[in-house]
Amino acid sequence: MQQKIRLFALYQGTATECILGVWDDGLTFMANKKDAANTVSATGKGKWNIPTGRRTDEWSESLVLIGESQDRGAFTRFFRHFAPLIKAFALSGSSLSATHADELVQEVMLKVWQKAGGFNPEKAAASTWVYTIARNCRTDMFRRLQKFDTPLASDDFELESEEEESFVVLHTRRGAERVRELLGDLPPDQAQILAKVYMEGKSHSEAAAELDLPLGTVKSRVRLAIQKLQGLMEA
Amino acid sequence: MAHHHPPMDLLIEYSAGALPVAQSACVAAHLSYCQHCRHSVDKLEDLGGAHLERLDPQPVGESVLERVMARLDYPEPLRYAPNEVSDTQLPGLLDRLINGNYADLVWKRVTQSLSISHLKTGDPNHEFALYRIAEGGRIPEHTHGGSEMTLVLRGGFADESGEYHPGDFLIREGWDKHTPVALEGEECICLAVLDAPLRFTRLRHRWLNPLLRLRAG
Repeated sequence: MQQKIRLFALYQGTATECILGVWDDGLTFMANKKDAANTVSATGKGKWNIPTGRRTDEWSESLVLIGESQDRGAFTRFFRHFAPLIKAFALSGSSLSATHADELVQEVMLKVWQKAGGFNPEKAAASTWVYTIARNCRTDMFRRLQKFDTPLASDDFELESEEEESFVVLHTRRGAERVRELLGDLPPDQAQILAKVYMEGKSHSEAAAELDLPLGTVKSRVRLAIQKLQGLMEA
Repeated sequence: MAHHHPPMDLLIEYSAGALPVAQSACVAAHLSYCQHCRHSVDKLEDLGGAHLERLDPQPVGESVLERVMARLDYPEPLRYAPNEVSDTQLPGLLDRLINGNYADLVWKRVTQSLSISHLKTGDPNHEFALYRIAEGGRIPEHTHGGSEMTLVLRGGFADESGEYHPGDFLIREGWDKHTPVALEGEECICLAVLDAPLRFTRLRHRWLNPLLRLRAG
């Protein structure tokens, strides 16, 4: 099992670089292969030869360790990296006090521990997986604070995960890397609204009210930003 | 497989956790029918992950880590078990809200072929209800003052713009009139999420409008 994890992490770290090379700089796949000390064959239907020895995705690897062997050391490292980000998320644009933000950090990190076994590194980046948990916990916390009486918790909205075909997975991963790169290149007005929507959990109309913009403008800026990223997400 | 999907705007708000609970539940129920939209949401959630990575980290006291570590061995909270005896064959979320068979719900009869059953989501601004239309039955021509989300759960219906089957999702805004008719062969059950009441437009049905008063919550 250990072997499989390591192999996967390498696969994740490098597969993207190879493909991006082909797409962007005209570097060929062979050039990448030549750099690499040795090659491994990725499992799955596509017969990719993946060079080893590049980047590994530390956080996906930690999550797998936490899920498989309840590794407290890995969990502590994961906490030290993500807890400050979750706290920043809790405080972004919301009315949560510092105490509630710390409480949210605790809830999210406990869920991370409990749910790590269900994390599928082929389906999502570790940060995306953490984001969905943090988003759900924050929604539930808002509802609790507003004494909102609902029979539904955000976890009830989760769907059972299913097997994904390997080519879809590869495409998603490549898109995910590119989205992270290009997010920084969005025009400021689009980036601002996208951050408001995703980090503050604001609807389009709430964002419009806060920024004093017409709803149509907000919708079109979000749509433009997504379209820019979507080409990548759908690649 | 569904052929009618939520617009991108809604999927964005859904993935950002920005939808009110009733609308969110309706979109989530569509996702359980629709792999296409599930993939879109996965990708949109990735935008959340990408943003999270870019935030300015805020200091978290060591005591928070200690409190979490101390709680790791606590048993996990109990989770709701799926209802195995219901006849609805619905995604877990709706199964939970309906909590039994369609027949066990309280159905309020509005016209000869239309009954409505309200479900509780706790959403203070949206009505969350099942519409049951007899096979071939018609919902009288109506408009909406606000938005109406519809998800077909059983059977199907047709209106001026197309035909809809289980898993199909529609959203209508404002005052466009329509007259849905259930397809022949099976009764049609839809989930409808409204933020303003339905209004029948024809004179002979208008007296029923008080029955359609919005029942949010």
